[in-house]
Amino acid sequence: MTNSIREIRDADFLFVIGSNTSEAHPIIAMEMKRAVRRGATLIVADPRAIWLTTIADDHMQIKPGTDVWLLNAMAHVIINEDLTDKKFVAEHTEGFEAVRDAVQDYTPEEAEKMCGVSAELIRRTARSYATTRKAGIYYTLGITEHSHGTDNVYALANLVLLTGHLGGPSMGLNPLRGQNNVQGANDAGASPIYYPGYQRVDDTESQAKFEKLWKRDLSPDPGLNLNEMMKAAGDQIRAFFVMGEDILLSEPNVLALEERMNRVEFVVLQDIFPNETLRYADVVFPAGNFAEKEGVFVNSERRMQRVRKAVNPPGEARADWEILLELGRRASAKRNLDPSVWSHQTPAQIFREFSASAPNFAGITHERLDQPTPDGFSGLQWPCKDDQDPGTKYLHEGGVLRGKGLLTAVAYRPSMELPDKDYGLLLSTGRTLYHYNSATQTRRDEGLDAKQSEAFVQIHPRDARKRGIDEGDLVEVKTRRGVIEVAAHVSRQVRPGCIWMSLHFAEARANVLTNDVGDSVTGTAEYKVCAAEITKVNSIEFGHAGLFPGSYFHQSPRGAAADSEAGVLEEETQEN
Amino acid sequence: MIITKPTCTIDGQKFEFTAGESMLEVARRNDIAIPTLCHDPRLDPAGACRSCLVEIEGQRRLLPSCATKATDGASFQTKSERVEKHRKTLFSLYLTDHADEDSEGGQHRGAPNKLAGASKKFGAENWGKLTNLRDEIAGDRSADVNPYIQYDSDLCILCAKCTRYCDEVEAVSAITLVGRGSETAIATPDSRSLLDTTCELCGGCVAVCPTGAMGEKKPKTRNQPIESELKKVRTTCNYCGVGCQFDFNVDPDGRDGLGEVVKVTSPDATPNQNMDLPAGFSGVSSDGNLCVKGRFGYDFVHHEERLTTPLVRGADGDLHPATWDEAFDAAIAGLEKVSAKYGDDSLAFVSSARCTIEENFLVQKVSRVAFGTNNVHQCAAT
Ligand code: SF4
Ligand code: SF4
Ligand code: FES
Repeated sequence: MTNSIREIRDADFLFVIGSNTSEAHPIIAMEMKRAVRRGATLIVADPRAIWLTTIADDHMQIKPGTDVWLLNAMAHVIINEDLTDKKFVAEHTEGFEAVRDAVQDYTPEEAEKMCGVSAELIRRTARSYATTRKAGIYYTLGITEHSHGTDNVYALANLVLLTGHLGGPSMGLNPLRGQNNVQGANDAGASPIYYPGYQRVDDTESQAKFEKLWKRDLSPDPGLNLNEMMKAAGDQIRAFFVMGEDILLSEPNVLALEERMNRVEFVVLQDIFPNETLRYADVVFPAGNFAEKEGVFVNSERRMQRVRKAVNPPGEARADWEILLELGRRASAKRNLDPSVWSHQTPAQIFREFSASAPNFAGITHERLDQPTPDGFSGLQWPCKDDQDPGTKYLHEGGVLRGKGLLTAVAYRPSMELPDKDYGLLLSTGRTLYHYNSATQTRRDEGLDAKQSEAFVQIHPRDARKRGIDEGDLVEVKTRRGVIEVAAHVSRQVRPGCIWMSLHFAEARANVLTNDVGDSVTGTAEYKVCAAEITKVNSIEFGHAGLFPGSYFHQSPRGAAADSEAGVLEEETQEN
Repeated sequence: MIITKPTCTIDGQKFEFTAGESMLEVARRNDIAIPTLCHDPRLDPAGACRSCLVEIEGQRRLLPSCATKATDGASFQTKSERVEKHRKTLFSLYLTDHADEDSEGGQHRGAPNKLAGASKKFGAENWGKLTNLRDEIAGDRSADVNPYIQYDSDLCILCAKCTRYCDEVEAVSAITLVGRGSETAIATPDSRSLLDTTCELCGGCVAVCPTGAMGEKKPKTRNQPIESELKKVRTTCNYCGVGCQFDFNVDPDGRDGLGEVVKVTSPDATPNQNMDLPAGFSGVSSDGNLCVKGRFGYDFVHHEERLTTPLVRGADGDLHPATWDEAFDAAIAGLEKVSAKYGDDSLAFVSSARCTIEENFLVQKVSRVAFGTNNVHQCAAT
């Protein structure tokens, strides 16, 4: 995030796109609720009628995968109605002309046809966003988990740069990180192209610096990203070391991956619970969970916060850092490398090596994180360059970090696989409030399981009726990659023509279905759009879908589109 | 032009304040203690519990300092005889209409009972137990099958903090005050189970309740030690990227001395007196709020299915328990065999966004330094 969580409550305009915030980031949603209570305008753009739409001023129920159309049309309005911040654009950006020309064809009227969002609503939102100073954009995987995810982010950044909504409190562009330490894992250099602190492996200066630190020569060739690794499994990649991740539940198109995994010769797994990947493991290291170790997580607002040991691990299990140090030490010895680079005794020492190696983190140590910090909250927000630096609440103050912000013209590219006559529905996947990713933790909790115990697929009443499906029926969901069985939840939360599943359930792995095509820049897979078909298997007893009551019969917020909704109801009654 | 800040006088001493601050906020900022039960900086002031009353010059009645704005030149007393007398009477009343902390009802509750402490401090007397009329209206809450939250009407003082939190902060309005007069209680519509309401089980009601009437079920049904016997360890939630801060409440003797997590509590939302924070800031960026996963989703920590010993796949094709030495040797031999055959870039290291910075740093270091490849990426590329 360019901004801090606490600034959200003071925002006057919130544009939430591709983020089911109240389920995936509940406490950020609380800040949004607080802003709305104060009178802020909230616009939600999401293919589903998520909880936030119940308090939103408007809901743009966009067709999945058409975000570029919507965002370019908003830029079109902002440019053509002369609502740009000219001073900001002139002083802090480049590439304006290219974007101006590129968005000319993206009229709100055309966008309405493509995205299913009315031209009037697009205009209203663009105007209101451009003319409100404290206007923040919030997004998450609904924007990035596409083959054109990077384009989506550029299109959002264009809106921010055109209007100069950057470098102040309660504005900016704010990706909400899905997992507790996504930010930290990136910061730490768990990346094929970056050393810690975003220093490139193919930059000779960085390479020399880390060669000196780690006392060996390092490869200047960028490695494979996750998506590439999974596709190269069994070919270029012949052995895996996997820590804290169930690749056979969470990677897309898992059946194809399983087949390739058979050709992988060696797998080491380090985790706290047995999981699907364990079937392929040759060695398993039992690890400690976050209650059993010291360390640091970095949250979405770049805040480094301490994790503290509360209890001891069970049996022989050890904290991940202990295992990794030992593995590094022994493996280095085997190759006659200097083992002294593995001589740390504590996470605090490991952290110090990490933070000292990157200018943006240099001022942060465990000792400082254990003290009350200048803003009164625990933790420090990077950049934090020396031991006097109080950290950074919001980025880009007084300008744009990389000198000038680059406005990037993006063109709409359709998702790789869209519905056709064999697979007539569009499948998206996502997360729910009561479970967390592969749910190895949450499904081991009675209450979370009680609230939501079974996998389900959401389908619009019209599509359900066409296929003779009733609420709670057991159905088969099929794509070109695989098929699973799951209970049907008939709901107007989804658009007609679209279906939705959560990723959490091992017995109904949504990732058997998803497409593993990756974004060309980041490699992030297209979890949000693929073509699917549903057929009824039989009727079953269905437990708790665990969704908010409105999800069953969605009412449009503040009466918008009430007519068309009534129309649908009528049509349904007649057909019944 | 010199702009002078408005001032008010508390117990004879002059203090500056910012327009809009309540008398309570000004006092607390200056380390003057005033008891409160229904006040929470995250909520609109309700003035419901009357425990924060102060004596304001020129006002005939005592007024709640939480709900009265400071005005320029105002003067008020927080420790006058009238105030002290009021407190004693008020807390005696509460005590009388409320199950005792040490009685069976007070044990193993999910929340500490602030009322008990305040009662003792102000010399409150218990005038003998009244019949609890609230149970009837609240219905039999033990029938609620939700496994996390329990309401005990005989501990409730009807301060409405829980319902206000549910409305104003979590915004789901799942619980509400029902009934009238002495029969008032907190309940769900039609006394339904929380699982069948709009409740999202965030547990905010438990966290704000000053008396333990909204309590946690798990420690109670598991018969675990009461809060005063637990050790608090501040940490960061391991689920989503918000990074909420919370305290593990640990029984150090649990699990044969390995330590056992009994519950999770959120840091107090009242400003830390030593930190000179703007009102409403709690010292953690999550403001003392938690969602259902952070507050209640901790059973996995000690789950019986945890991996507890290293495993190595044997010639028979099965995984067998091994020592750490054997496991390290097998892992290194296996990886080296592949790299000897196909080169270092045939190895891939998948790191985890669930693990700490230190651990991610080490995975990339193991990959780059010990095995010579940049094929390392964390599991969540976004
Ligand atoms: S349950 Fe607790 S918070 Fe709610 S009204 Fe009763 S005493 Fe107040
Ligand atoms: S408590 Fe909930 S919102 Fe906060 S970090 Fe944990 S999962 Fe995220
Ligand atoms: S705290 Fe002021 S009336 Fe309750």
